[in-house]
Amino acid sequence: MLPLTEKKIALTIKEMESGLGRIRDLSISIGKLSAADWTEPEGPTPYPSLTALRTWDRTLLSRYQPFYMPFCDLCCLCTYGKCDLTGTKKGACGITMPAQQSRTVLLSACIGAATHTSHARELVTYAIKKAGRDCPINPGGNAIGVEAPIIRLVCGEKPEILADLETVLDYCESQITALLAVTHTGQEGDPLDFESKVLHAGMIDHVGMEVADLAQISALGYPKADPDAPLVALGMGTVDTTKPVILVIGHNVPPSVAIIDYLHNENLSDHVEVTGICCTSIDATRYSPRAKIIGPMSWQLRYIRSGIPDVIVVDEQCIRTDALAEAEAIHAPFIATSEKNCLGLPDRTNDTADAIVTDLVGGKLAGVLILDPEKAGEVAVRVARTVAPARKNVRASTDPATIREQVTACTQCRLCQRACPNDLKIPQGMKAAGAGELSLLAGLYETCVGCGRCEQACTKKIPVHSLIVAAAAERIKNEKFVIRTGRGAIQDIEIRNVGGPIVLGEIPGVIGFVGCANYANGGKEVAEMSVEFAKRRYIVCTSGCTAMSIGMYRDEEGKTPYEQFPGSFSAGGIVNVGSCVANAHIAGATIKIASVFARRNLRGNYAEIADYVHNRVGAVGVAWGAMSQKAAAIAAGFWRLGIPVVVGPHGTKYRRMLLGRADHDADWYVHDQRTGEDVYAGPAPEHLFVAAETKEEAMVLVAKLCMRPNDTTRGRAMKLTHYIDLSQRNLGTIPDDIPRYVRTTADIPVTLKGEITRILAQSDWKERPIPDPTLLSRDKPSPPKER
Amino acid sequence: MFEDMPVDVGLVHVGERIRKNDMYVELGGPSIEEKFELVRVKKPDEIRDGAITVVGPDLSEMEEGKKYPLGILIEIAGPELEEDIEGVIERRIHEYTNYIEGFMHLNQRYDIWVRVSKKAYARGFTTLAYVGNVLLALLKNELPIIEQMQVTFFTDQEKISARYAGAKAIYEARDARARGLTDDDVDVFYGCALCQSFAPSHVCVITPQRYANCGAISWFDGRAAARIDPKGPIFPIEKGECLDTVRGEYTGINESAKKRSLGTVHRIYLYSAFAYPHTSCGCFEGIAFYIPEVEGFGIVMRGYKDVTVNGLPFSTMADTTAGGRQVDGFHGISLEYMRSPKFLAADGGYARVAWMPSDLKEQMREFIPADLFSRIATEKEVKTVSELRDFLSLHAHPVIERWTAEENVPMNGTNGAMQVFSGGDFPITSGGFKIIFKNARITADRVIIEPIQPKKPGADK
Repeated sequence: MLPLTEKKIALTIKEMESGLGRIRDLSISIGKLSAADWTEPEGPTPYPSLTALRTWDRTLLSRYQPFYMPFCDLCCLCTYGKCDLTGTKKGACGITMPAQQSRTVLLSACIGAATHTSHARELVTYAIKKAGRDCPINPGGNAIGVEAPIIRLVCGEKPEILADLETVLDYCESQITALLAVTHTGQEGDPLDFESKVLHAGMIDHVGMEVADLAQISALGYPKADPDAPLVALGMGTVDTTKPVILVIGHNVPPSVAIIDYLHNENLSDHVEVTGICCTSIDATRYSPRAKIIGPMSWQLRYIRSGIPDVIVVDEQCIRTDALAEAEAIHAPFIATSEKNCLGLPDRTNDTADAIVTDLVGGKLAGVLILDPEKAGEVAVRVARTVAPARKNVRASTDPATIREQVTACTQCRLCQRACPNDLKIPQGMKAAGAGELSLLAGLYETCVGCGRCEQACTKKIPVHSLIVAAAAERIKNEKFVIRTGRGAIQDIEIRNVGGPIVLGEIPGVIGFVGCANYANGGKEVAEMSVEFAKRRYIVCTSGCTAMSIGMYRDEEGKTPYEQFPGSFSAGGIVNVGSCVANAHIAGATIKIASVFARRNLRGNYAEIADYVHNRVGAVGVAWGAMSQKAAAIAAGFWRLGIPVVVGPHGTKYRRMLLGRADHDADWYVHDQRTGEDVYAGPAPEHLFVAAETKEEAMVLVAKLCMRPNDTTRGRAMKLTHYIDLSQRNLGTIPDDIPRYVRTTADIPVTLKGEITRILAQSDWKERPIPDPTLLSRDKPSPPKER
Repeated sequence: MFEDMPVDVGLVHVGERIRKNDMYVELGGPSIEEKFELVRVKKPDEIRDGAITVVGPDLSEMEEGKKYPLGILIEIAGPELEEDIEGVIERRIHEYTNYIEGFMHLNQRYDIWVRVSKKAYARGFTTLAYVGNVLLALLKNELPIIEQMQVTFFTDQEKISARYAGAKAIYEARDARARGLTDDDVDVFYGCALCQSFAPSHVCVITPQRYANCGAISWFDGRAAARIDPKGPIFPIEKGECLDTVRGEYTGINESAKKRSLGTVHRIYLYSAFAYPHTSCGCFEGIAFYIPEVEGFGIVMRGYKDVTVNGLPFSTMADTTAGGRQVDGFHGISLEYMRSPKFLAADGGYARVAWMPSDLKEQMREFIPADLFSRIATEKEVKTVSELRDFLSLHAHPVIERWTAEENVPMNGTNGAMQVFSGGDFPITSGGFKIIFKNARITADRVIIEPIQPKKPGADK
């Protein structure tokens, strides 16, 4: 066997006799992707190592310096500890507080990147099994020329078939392993080096996400970059409870696909409801629009406790770890399907479906582990159909009298409120409910994120969460909405279409609402924000649980945002790209802009393209209620591209922000490629990662962060209009940093000329040129090729 | 600026729609036969600067829920103003009136359709004079070349009728002038640097007979924009000396290109897709692509979803065309340019167009010479380049005169390596080691398969 130090080898045989015949001038390459005819020149950093982009990272981090907010003052990762790191104290290994914070951020980003990459690996293996190694990668047919912008950019590869994605994943896995090693005691000690590696983890995460979604779009026939992807049912009220109901929870779609396929093959599609929570449900609806989405992850307890699901199937990620116990409480058989989430269940993968069905139906087992999606699909359907008739009788809702009876035990000790991550006024609700007034308790439903910590805190064992849900029964019945299912990538053609409107100032920016809206009122607030920006003709992109939250609100005519606004990547569109892994398409769209408009080479050319995106593409991410490590990794991937991300107030628990200093003029100079001079371009964008206290503050921030040094005067005037208008409406004031964003008088919005001219006159404002901006020095030779 | 207005005025209201149930009154619109809006350049002494007049019933004299006729006449004066930019200023009426909260303005010219919302009326928006105020303030502020201006609203049917025919005649005269204006008639072209914010080396030249690639800016628009904002992204280009009348090469354009393209573009031919074609940014409406096998052009627009006759979709060719480069035979164009007599004039114009999508061909019917119309193939007749060749021969398309002796022109994309082997397990034993290829695909430049002669005893080892 040839020792392979690298997976890629190329072998050339001049002449050889073999069993097959005489071979002459044969060249063989292994592990190399199939696009032999890709002529784009390779940039300096294909498959970048941990340090290949360190210079670019430091450029960003010198502008946007980490501001640490220790969530915990101790380090307890090794047995030297616990070490107190407050003040200037160092740990036993020598680590400082800033380094420890960034180390924790890196750990978090590694967990996130590993989760997406592992998910991607499973999907690619599954997709190859289903559609073959040679199944072409096809995210959007003729409308898409750049099929995998992130993979092209990072890896310098142009994947054409599913098998090509395996090589890309090999790279991701090697990087995540190395990144994780960096967090070991006694490795990296410098906070900025940790931060650079956080950015690396984020970039790898985006590659992993792109692989995952390309694989499932290509193999499973999802909508392909389709602005008119179907509208599908959303909400607990849409479930036909007279039929057997299956609930799928998680992110990895194969078991859901198997359920849908089995139903289809057995002609049962009309007779069983397939419902889902979290991203796996979005992907199920991308596979079959008949599937129904219940809601974001915070709907797990409330939906399971409603008793509606007859069978619960879980795959991976963001699943409550007590889901099995919750299922047992409603006597719903439970099927785990992921080797990453076995929940202590017996592995029945190798048993016959008949045997497993018998054991689950007969109550011999509360749950099983089945690591074969097809078998799990068959078992889920058969068990649901068998147990449903008897279970329909046990689905009892809690009536008002029962609620009153249960709350009488409440001693008003307030421990529930203290345990609540959102400090909800549960005791008041309980008190009023005791007096027969349920509205306060029911009102908590909207703001509750469904964590159940209140119940853990209650010394009287009152099922607090269940009571809140019961009090809101009427509201739940009306949870009948629609969501446009995940359309996948953004078409190259759509990007061309918006080029004109962007430079002519008709589209002020692109905003991505991503992650979960797992924050008190978070769902309502992301819905309101997305509608506000869509009305203002921004392009609004969304994905995952946030996409669901946006669908759960209606206008005065009763229309959801998906019915009010088009699904196209255009002014005023609300674009649901899909599940969490589909976030790659939002980043991908910003990368494609560099290729589509400037014809910049993407291939292994990360720093140049990130510099282009950072200085020219007015995109902002908003993760209003993000809670997970995946969200940390996704955000980091955007940061490395220079795209700012805004989080809600509890986003500060991510331990550090990346904040620019608008008052440091020297930080905001860019190189003007047109003149070769360094010019002040204003703090655009001002921050890379920043938390907002309120929705109002967030909207003003987002409008501001859409500004870029290259804005045309019409574009800047429009961006300033919205920034000022949102600030006046939401904060009651004209922002005090306007002079930093006005470059010439043509930047001034026409309707605000008087006021702004006055403001400029009072400051030491001077007209300045609009640069062709870059943060890279063009005079420096490009760095050596990295392998 | 608008403190005295009972409603807000700002860009944020542009997208506002007023539905029937929310409307106080409707002015113009589909059920009113005669309506107009018109901008006229006058002499300063013909204008009472700042005057706003309502001829006929004002909003407060109208009946809720009813429809009324409407005419808007804006008269302006200023030494820099000329008739040629009246149309450009007229389009700002739509833009600026829509800034008014509770006021919706659709369409232009003889097609206008206005609604005032109940909410706005209730808040005191009871006179059209408020609309006049906004137009006066914004137009004079944004376009300082307007020195005097007066606004008249007509809501009286008879007064509108008296002016309606005159307004229509003016629109027609304007259109005729626009259609008739040639590149030779003017001394100045315009350049647009808007797209340079994304494609820094792209230089857009806008002439009367060559619309901007994006289809959004005409020579008249350019003229107005350059006058209004002399430091802005749209700037005049003195034609200079004409170096080549057929290809459309001018010294002024070449100098401007050199300066504006960071030195990457030195020469531009306005009317040719070869040698020094006009550059393309990213938002061109369509592509004229050369098909070497037939020595003619195919045309494809951005919205065409299928692959074109050369097997490539728009998106792939756009990738080749875009980026502010000069790419021989891949030429970004606008729809309007296809209506121009100068369309690819140096390369043969429509006589060189061999293929276009059927919808586009129909759309361009009146601009394609009648004798050529049936000779240009569409996706309905041909799917491949060889079918296209047959079609062109059969229909005696003029490009066939260019076809010389039947040569074997190598086709694009077939000179690469071909796949000779793919599949399961494939062991090769050589020089004492064995290589097993699992799921390998092997490509080679040439494959020779010849029978192996059985070795004769005593032959060379």
